[in-house]
Amino acid sequence: MSVQPQPPISGAAGLTPRQLTHRLRQMLAIREFERLGEQCFRDGLIRGYYHSYAGQEAVGVGFLNALDLSRDYVVDHYRDHGHCLLLGLDPEQIFAELFGRATGVSKGKGGSMHMYSPERHFLGGDGIVGGGLSVACGVGLALKRRANDPICVCFFGDGALDTGTFHESMNLASLWSVPTLYVCINNLYSMGTRVEDHSSLSQLVDRAQGYGVKTEQVDGQDVFATTAAAERIYQYMRQTKRPYFVEALTYRYQGHGIHDKALNYRTEQEEAQWHSRDPIQLLAAHLITEKILSAQQIEDLRQQIVAELQAKVERAKQAPQPDDAELKQDVLA
Amino acid sequence: MKKLSMHEALNQALREEMHRDERVVLLGEEIGKYNGVHYVTRGLYAEFGKERVIDTPISEESFTGVGVGLAIMGMRPVVEMMRMDFSLRAMDQIYNHMAKIRYMSGGRLSVPMVLRGPEGPGPNPGLTAQHGQQLTVLFAHCPGLRVVSPSNQYDAKGMLKAAIRSDDPVVFLEPGPLNNKQGDVGEDDYLVPLDRGEVKHEGSDVSLIGYGASVALCLQAARDLEHDGVSAEVVDMRCLRPLDMGPALASVAKTNRAVVVEYAWQSYGPGAEIVARLMAEAFWNLDAPVTRVSGQEVPLPYAANLEELSKPQVADIVAQAKATLR
Ligand SMILES: Cc1ncc(C[n+]2csc(CCOP(=O)(O)OP(=O)(O)O)c2C)c(N)n1
Ligand SMILES: [Mg+2]
Repeated sequence: MSVQPQPPISGAAGLTPRQLTHRLRQMLAIREFERLGEQCFRDGLIRGYYHSYAGQEAVGVGFLNALDLSRDYVVDHYRDHGHCLLLGLDPEQIFAELFGRATGVSKGKGGSMHMYSPERHFLGGDGIVGGGLSVACGVGLALKRRANDPICVCFFGDGALDTGTFHESMNLASLWSVPTLYVCINNLYSMGTRVEDHSSLSQLVDRAQGYGVKTEQVDGQDVFATTAAAERIYQYMRQTKRPYFVEALTYRYQGHGIHDKALNYRTEQEEAQWHSRDPIQLLAAHLITEKILSAQQIEDLRQQIVAELQAKVERAKQAPQPDDAELKQDVLA
Repeated sequence: MKKLSMHEALNQALREEMHRDERVVLLGEEIGKYNGVHYVTRGLYAEFGKERVIDTPISEESFTGVGVGLAIMGMRPVVEMMRMDFSLRAMDQIYNHMAKIRYMSGGRLSVPMVLRGPEGPGPNPGLTAQHGQQLTVLFAHCPGLRVVSPSNQYDAKGMLKAAIRSDDPVVFLEPGPLNNKQGDVGEDDYLVPLDRGEVKHEGSDVSLIGYGASVALCLQAARDLEHDGVSAEVVDMRCLRPLDMGPALASVAKTNRAVVVEYAWQSYGPGAEIVARLMAEAFWNLDAPVTRVSGQEVPLPYAANLEELSKPQVADIVAQAKATLR
């Protein structure tokens, strides 16, 4: 095993107690959303694919909170529910999309991998591995022509580094000096294949070298580390209009998708090791030590979130299916 | 005969051919240690090892090209697309290399490889726009390829074995909706030719012409029509390039009517080609215009009602068949 979770959690990244509590709330909301979503899948409310973000929360929380959504944009891959929540999409509308309802973020036409919210500057999940990388380069190129130094953030997995479009996009982004941040969420597996078995170099950050793009690795379990990195990197990008590459080291708790029980390719020992550095637990421990919240308050918060989400699930369940006439709408303008 | 699912039938074909010919190697994503997401390669990694069952990174364009390279060196690669949708990444290798090297080299090189994978909206529902497409026509359009799509488990085994033995590059399109469905499969070492369509159900009033997953719809429609006193013949066009029109022409000579059925988008698709050939070669046998039932021309939608509406419907086949009889 080349990539080990790194031990302690760094400072507080200059976050106030209120901001820290907010981030804990966000992470809990993602974790509980995915739990409920998977239950809804098992209950037959969701069909097709379901890729859980549980375990990876600190990556999205760090990189998305530091964005300025009045000007910046996000391009995502299919593991997109957590990012949607962080960008402020209404969980009820996300559930409605997962249930294939008319009130869903994509009118029920897209499903789990195809959430979109132009209002929240979220330009989509994408079902094709690496599909968003060149799109994000184009988004960055468009943003470069706008005032205010906006940037684009693009998320994808370790598996996407194996696609040609990753290397072509890095070259283009550097050649044309495009302000797009490429965030590789390295959760150690591309479906059932470990990084060492799909990548010629297991330090993925090394594979982004050679394009004249700044790169770094960040501890994706540590919300302070992702927050600090995001703030520093965005400042650099706004100043220089340059791309940037980040490898965030983290772990997905569930299988690749809901049908994958992750039984035959990873060990319980490895899972336990990552659970022992759970991003939510790490932040919670900090909040307790700093006497910002008590364990009981955190548990109350979690239960309050669950209750809120459950109410949204119930409302989304009541929403109607799209009108049959929707079938042929939206194919062309 | 033995009842097997489509993926088990395909698995048998691969296993038998790998035993028969050590030049046969498999490449694809998650096909080895993980046993294949649609189970077609299940157990083969354990049996044949990593030199013959090669797990690839998500590099469709390049591992298809690797297949071409292996093939021109005399190997017999079978390249899996986890879903046929992902072959879009590999189209340059398919169109410009796999399909053309024989011709461009004046016949001095051949590319005996198979590119295979599931297409269309299944086995499970909710695959959505980028995972459940029926892209048959993209391959069937290209000279230099053989393109086949079995409609049942028996043919799947025999045709995959024939594809592996063929000296030509073969695109082998597995009907996704049938992946987990069971049917009779021969237990012996048999081949089904790559250039012959087949009548799957005899009838005398109207010909229902399909390929791949749409043949099952035609068979269902034929059963429904029988209740209404209409005798429908079902023709399986399983060999799309070269396209074998023989059984369809013979059928129309008998019935004088035809409905062409496919999951694909209608415009410019394989069905359009079949209809054009019928017009050219069976015009004087036709008593009614040839009609078509196809998938709706929209990206595969997610919502259950829209997804269902987007697929070709048995009721429409029945209605169209009756319309040709009026
Ligand atoms: C071009 C393409 N090839 C294959 C797939 C099937 N597929 C979907 S996700 C995946 C694994 C990707 O893993 P990674 O990029 O590490 O992201 P993670 O799922 O770990 O978030 C594969 C092989 C696909 N969607 N697109
Ligand atoms: Mg991964």
